Amino acid sequence: MPPIPFIHQRYILNDFSVCLFISQLTSYFLLFNSTYIYYEKINQIFKSFASELQCLRNCGNFSFVRVAIAQITPHLGDVKKNFDLHLKYIKKAKKKKADLLIFPELSLTGYTLKDLTEEVALNPKKDSLFGELNAASRQISLIVGFVEEKEKGLFYNSAAFLSKGKILHIHRKVFLPTYGMFEEGKFFAQGRNFKTFLTPYGKMGMMICYDFLHYGASYLLFAGGSEIIIVPSAAPGRGLSNKECYETSRMWELMGSAISRFSSAFLIYCNRVGFEDGKHFAGGSFIYNPMGELIAQASYLDQDFLIQKINLADIREARKKWPYKRDDRPEIILESLKRIIRNNED
Amino acid sequence: MKINGSFVEKVLTAFIKQELSKFNYKKGILGLSGGLDSSVCTFLAAKALKPANVLALIMPYGESFKRDVEDAKEIAKLLGIRSKIINISPVVNAYFSTYPTDNRIIKGNKMARERMAILYDFSAREKALILGTSNKTELLLGYGTIHGDMACGINPLGDLYKTQIKQLALHLGIPEKIRKKTPTAGLWTNQTDEKELGLSYAKMDKILFQLVDLRKSKKDVIASGFKKEEVEKIISLIKKSEFKRKLPPIAKISARTVGHDFLFPYDWDK
Repeated sequence: MPPIPFIHQRYILNDFSVCLFISQLTSYFLLFNSTYIYYEKINQIFKSFASELQCLRNCGNFSFVRVAIAQITPHLGDVKKNFDLHLKYIKKAKKKKADLLIFPELSLTGYTLKDLTEEVALNPKKDSLFGELNAASRQISLIVGFVEEKEKGLFYNSAAFLSKGKILHIHRKVFLPTYGMFEEGKFFAQGRNFKTFLTPYGKMGMMICYDFLHYGASYLLFAGGSEIIIVPSAAPGRGLSNKECYETSRMWELMGSAISRFSSAFLIYCNRVGFEDGKHFAGGSFIYNPMGELIAQASYLDQDFLIQKINLADIREARKKWPYKRDDRPEIILESLKRIIRNNED
Repeated sequence: MKINGSFVEKVLTAFIKQELSKFNYKKGILGLSGGLDSSVCTFLAAKALKPANVLALIMPYGESFKRDVEDAKEIAKLLGIRSKIINISPVVNAYFSTYPTDNRIIKGNKMARERMAILYDFSAREKALILGTSNKTELLLGYGTIHGDMACGINPLGDLYKTQIKQLALHLGIPEKIRKKTPTAGLWTNQTDEKELGLSYAKMDKILFQLVDLRKSKKDVIASGFKKEEVEKIISLIKKSEFKRKLPPIAKISARTVGHDFLFPYDWDK
């Protein structure tokens, strides 16, 4: 007997998908209605279909989202300690009635891992730790950073979005900084996608740290329809001036302001603090609204916990005034890119 | 090259505090000469830790730097930290009476390493982490004794040029007589850094900042208004002293080698 049609993990985005789902299920019944051994599995499909529909329904229901940012100092290489730290912040965020809690890049492991990378790697499908995080996500959506062993021996710098008891999306860092003080390319496999995904709060996209400094990545999320863009980060500060922060903090804020403004989307950047091997992570986590205005910012130096209510109607307001999204032409961009790539060939 | 004193103070005191806690130390120890760098480091340590948890060792060679010893004592008193005077001349003289030399640099290096040996000894006795005081100018020019004053557990000052340390000293409220002192390695009387290096700190720091921080080419630095010989001298000093800034190379013959591809963070398990 063939396997059950693999459909239940997909997000059903429109009526067409719903029809497709029903027609697949119907054909399955027509073929194998003589047996009921798959009853359990079919039942599961129905359940997950129902929960996705619920997610879709909820999607329009949220007018406001209470976003929490945990600007923490993870313990380098100690997943257990970091997990406990996460639980502490989850409790705190729940108390403050947050809908979504965001942790920084590699929040479950720390950043300067080097050869520790393989020792702290997790498989979200198998590790019990993710079971507990999934359970916690029934009451509050979470974004956590971790080393993901997607396939045996392949380690990714990943961020997972957990909601309603399961992982909705995993973003694997595409742009791995490997220059100057950075050596991620030596230890991590490269992600291959920037995907907009559906959440109870609308369409979201994620980038991790250096991804965000490549504006092509932001464009892909914009073109994909992201309304909330989230950037977990572990950015060390560098460069002194007469200002009370690092020169590089301005670089992130510049991107935050520009990308939120020209994507007409919320931009949430969650950095970490603390020192690792002398490197000083520069905090300054922030939220920009779809008009490109800063609406919340955390300390540049200290651990911090931000709570900010965002109004999803702002997205519509911004797009009414500035129709960048309406006037986007991804097909022209794609064709031009193809030409550029062809012309660049040796 | 302007710095924000308040920001740098916050960063460096956080650094001292967090590093000590990571490596499970409560106390910090450092050599206090009465000069600018060690005074700034002592001020930062006293702000980061409880003054009772800072131990300054004042280690003069004989009677030659009396004024500096007085200044060092005054700083310790001002901050309410612990201090101890240890005269290194008996040890150093005993050695040189057996192996005499007229070479001032050899003598000076020996003194710097004696101070280092005492600091490490007291570090173990007191369970205190050694705070280094080498600044970025010295580190880049190699103007320090390897395994001597360059040795330490952590270095809060190593990314600040001498002229930036002066700005920080002003912000920290360090007494004027210390801020206005002529910088000296204190290896012999009347020695001054600027005389020995042949350039003023103001000039050296500007050249270094362009070469190192801004990654300008030699040509561009000269074009910005410095003499060719000055820029070349700085470049040559940087190149000649690279060995002081690295662990010595290990002959790699196995599959995985310390210093080559056995790569773990300094903060491993901390």
